[in-house]
Amino acid sequence: MSLRSEFTKGLWETIPPFRLVLGLCPTLAVTTSGINGIGMGLATTFVLVFSNIFVSLLRRYIPSQVRIASFIVIIASFVVIVELVMQAYFFALFKVLGIFIPLIVVNCIILGRAEAFASKNGPILSTADGLGIGIGFTMSLFVLGSIREFLGSGTLLGLPVLWSSYEPFAFMLKPPGAFVALGILLALINLISRLQSARGGS
Amino acid sequence: MRDIIKMVVVLTLIGAVSGLILSVVYNATKEPIEYQTIKFVKEPAVKKVLTGYDNDPVADRKTIAVGTDEKGNPREITVFPAKKAGDTFAVAVEGKGKGFHGLIGVMVGVREDGTILDVGITSHSETPGVGSKVEESSFTDQFKSLKAKAPVKVDAISGATYSSKGVTAAVEQAIGYVNSFRKEIF
Repeated sequence: MSLRSEFTKGLWETIPPFRLVLGLCPTLAVTTSGINGIGMGLATTFVLVFSNIFVSLLRRYIPSQVRIASFIVIIASFVVIVELVMQAYFFALFKVLGIFIPLIVVNCIILGRAEAFASKNGPILSTADGLGIGIGFTMSLFVLGSIREFLGSGTLLGLPVLWSSYEPFAFMLKPPGAFVALGILLALINLISRLQSARGGS
Repeated sequence: MRDIIKMVVVLTLIGAVSGLILSVVYNATKEPIEYQTIKFVKEPAVKKVLTGYDNDPVADRKTIAVGTDEKGNPREITVFPAKKAGDTFAVAVEGKGKGFHGLIGVMVGVREDGTILDVGITSHSETPGVGSKVEESSFTDQFKSLKAKAPVKVDAISGATYSSKGVTAAVEQAIGYVNSFRKEIF
């Protein structure tokens, strides 16, 4: 278990939300544009890295009976910090993400990493794990958001990229569009890994 | 027994430290948050109701104490002055009036000579499609160039009488502030 592999596993092998299929609520709800995806992803990454570090540092002192409660208090504190800072300095993004910022508390990815990884490993490995998973999550949200933005409003990162008479496929910006886009991406990722393993086997 | 004590102590400590950190962050971000809220929520309305100024009304905003509320707490209003060459010629003040569902917030621009420049709805929770019509310019434009003196009379939207009255009441409240605190404002 090297530092490198702990970091890179979050980028492909266990990339959330596609491999873990956790944390779907923010994934489906906020990815109406690429930039929203990045904002949500970075907020989650910040919480994930710091909660991983603190859970890992405190893992020897937290009695196992109250570990979940302790993890949640730690996670919730960082979520409130993100919420306040975002409200103070990135108000436009805060207004878009709105209720989904406080909901990071119940994002299964974060509690999942605290429970499955940070509570069993040292702070440096846990930081690498948190960063990897967080960046993987950010990339996934960005890709998903960009696809929906491209089809749904004909723009990429807010800039128009399609011809002016393009009729936006508004369905993609609605919740069902999120499921469709997520499903197609999941299928693609599974196809790629199957091809990869087939090539490795032959 | 030892376990239980340890559990309680650890959880209490984690909670207390979190609380401490959060209170520090809250205090540090309080002012920027207030500024951002005013900038994003009030500024569009301020910009709508004031014209021809060369200053930043949001940066030049003043707070004026306007007595106390029912519970005896001091009440303050924020006024946004519009200046030309350093001279305040108009001001935007927000007033609140009771609509059909809760309070309607209305930003009112008042010229120094006592006429209304324009009004803009800042917040409301009126019925969509019925009471929410008070936001439309066909209704708010009626207030333009009226005398800034109660009672303000405009044609109510049919089917949305309460909402229309709420807006009028909010405008009258804002005008009331301007008239009673002329000295502080201009």
